[in-house]
Amino acid sequence: MSIRRRARAHSAALIAVALWFATVAAQDVLPQAERRSASPLATRAIDGGLRSGASPMRAVHKATDLHTRRMPANARYLRGSVIVKFRDGTSAARRADLVSLVAGRSMPSLPYAAFDLVALDPADDPEAVASRLAAQPDVAYAQARYRARPLYRPNDPLYGLQWNFASLEMERAWDINPGSSPSVTVAVVDSGVAYVNTSLRFVQFNARSIEGSVFPALGTVDIPFAAAPDLGAADRFVSPYDFIWDDPQPLDMHGHGTHVAGTIGQATNNSLGVAGIAFNVKLMPIKVIDGFWDEYFESPFFGTDDTVARGVRYAADNGAKVINLSIGREGPPAPVVRSALEYAVSRGAFIAVAGGNEFLDGNPTPRFAEFAQQISGMVSVGAVGPDRQRAAYSNTGPYLELVAPGGDFTRNGVSGLILQQTYDFDFTDTFLNGTGGFRPPRFDVFAYLYAEGTSMATAHVSGLAALLYQQGITKPSAIEAVMKRSATDLGPEGRDDQYGHGLINARAALRGLGIAR
Amino acid sequence: MSAHVFCRRATSRLTLITAVACAVAFPTTAAAQQKPPAAVRPVPAPRAQTSIRGFGDISVTRFAAADTFEATLGSSTGVFFGGGVEVVLPQRFFFNVRLSRFQKTGERVFVDGDDVFPLGIDLKVGITPVEVTGGYRFQPRGRTRNVIPFVGGGIGWHKYSETSDFAQAGDNVEETFTGYHALGGVEFRMSRWFGVSGEAQWTTIGDALGSEVSSASEVSGESNLGGLGLRVRFVIGR
Repeated sequence: MSIRRRARAHSAALIAVALWFATVAAQDVLPQAERRSASPLATRAIDGGLRSGASPMRAVHKATDLHTRRMPANARYLRGSVIVKFRDGTSAARRADLVSLVAGRSMPSLPYAAFDLVALDPADDPEAVASRLAAQPDVAYAQARYRARPLYRPNDPLYGLQWNFASLEMERAWDINPGSSPSVTVAVVDSGVAYVNTSLRFVQFNARSIEGSVFPALGTVDIPFAAAPDLGAADRFVSPYDFIWDDPQPLDMHGHGTHVAGTIGQATNNSLGVAGIAFNVKLMPIKVIDGFWDEYFESPFFGTDDTVARGVRYAADNGAKVINLSIGREGPPAPVVRSALEYAVSRGAFIAVAGGNEFLDGNPTPRFAEFAQQISGMVSVGAVGPDRQRAAYSNTGPYLELVAPGGDFTRNGVSGLILQQTYDFDFTDTFLNGTGGFRPPRFDVFAYLYAEGTSMATAHVSGLAALLYQQGITKPSAIEAVMKRSATDLGPEGRDDQYGHGLINARAALRGLGIAR
Repeated sequence: MSAHVFCRRATSRLTLITAVACAVAFPTTAAAQQKPPAAVRPVPAPRAQTSIRGFGDISVTRFAAADTFEATLGSSTGVFFGGGVEVVLPQRFFFNVRLSRFQKTGERVFVDGDDVFPLGIDLKVGITPVEVTGGYRFQPRGRTRNVIPFVGGGIGWHKYSETSDFAQAGDNVEETFTGYHALGGVEFRMSRWFGVSGEAQWTTIGDALGSEVSSASEVSGESNLGGLGLRVRFVIGR
């Protein structure tokens, strides 16, 4: 039991790994399951704060800028006026002459302005006019009215712990595109997302044997669910669907999908918790992976290939422009999933898929990621740590196309993992407590947890894809191309099996191409 | 009295000398004067001399990096405004120095195959060539004596600048490249002091573009900043 508790202390780091053990099994009989709403207004989230494994800590990093609005890209300076500073002693008549020299007129003086503003014909080039004025001996300086822009840094108090964003130059990327827009929908095809406050009644009158352990019957239980406080308002979530329970309520009973959704689109600059990459997008929670509690309460479907395929097709048909697949499996090929992936890309959806966490277990080929090299518009993602070295667990192979921050506990410890909000596993993973501590879970208590895996890395790529889509690159194959082209090459020069084309660089990707540079 | 008389005598002498000189210098003319009716009397060709002329011009250039400019600036052609000074030697050779300027604002893009995705990020491009040209003006003939063909070639220094929004240190470009050009055209003399020429100029500025991975020119495989330009030039001077 003590071993289990220690394992739980590091459970955050094992979220992604655990997912891979959620193996796919064929389903012959659909069990009779019961899951119904107990009270739609039942719960509100409890924020358990930051959990960082063995040494919990809280960090407060106050932001210096609070700006979120994007400056129009074509407005580097205002037209119709310039700034002029006349030299001391210049007479009013001379000033008037100089103003008339450029066919301008003086504007009313402003407080705290030790200079003048001169109105111009909007058709005039302010830079040229300023140059003319600056050349006059009575003018100390003249310049166009350039627009300053925010140097974005989110004010989320735990943002300083998110090394992963710094490694992608996210702050400068957010200068260009702050968080995409609600016109872009990212589907999180995963274990569900904690996106709504509700309470569901589950029934289990039989003891259940799961992965070699027997768990007692809990009878009829009302389990509270809450929306993750840092994911944002309810209107962020569109077209949710649960392919495990076959209903439109893809509630996360695992925690993985919520963590992944946070990296993609956690509410940002909200003075709460952590930041996400594409914090303005709509999120589409699609549940195709079952966790322990889904299995315990006998969900009608499992996270099989066909379920995944249905989820992917559903996402594409319901308007997702980016599909995040932080999932995968080993074993024989999965043509049904490949077909769904090809369909989704043909519908205009970009797909990011996890490259696998089994390098240390023989480096088997991850069956969903392997399709990436054949499908243009789909990218397989490996993981690196803060030191930009391939994470020890991250698979390698010819299918690997890009890497992103996924964390690496072995070289960088807990702080080298990816921090996001998800459930407080003390309240969900009661199946780790042994028979005596086994009790109904609560999915309404949250914590900021560190996790590692190519799942986490994949979420970064999906977030960036959402920014690129909103920036104007709307073709999946082009999103893939720009990510590869702008990636920071790691490892051997050029593409290689460890890092693919390299570490994604959000700023470079969003900035695109000039003529010479 | 004497002064008056002296004057008359002097005039008579000058007239005589001039007549003799003309008879020697233009014997055929002198002979023709004896054959009525006379044809249109040709104007003696002006004595060739060195002339210094000023000019202003406007040219439209199709850039060699056509795909790159089309993608980023929306057009593969650009308009240059310029001007300069030209010296024409008696031997019909000429030399000129020309300064011109092209400037346009487009936007940064991403290029994937035939697809161009504008990104809404301002991209301001300027090209300022300083060119030195030498060439030869052909002898006008017959009735087209006011039409003067010319050819030439030379070297240029092309200051290229590229600035864009959200640039960090090292992102913008301001560099000068050396190029070479050849040109040919025709000058129409509208009056003694004014002429208009039409000319075509081919310019090559190798290896100016296409070396950076963050450039559309690299994607397009275009490295030459030059192009083929058609120019109208307004010349003031003989």
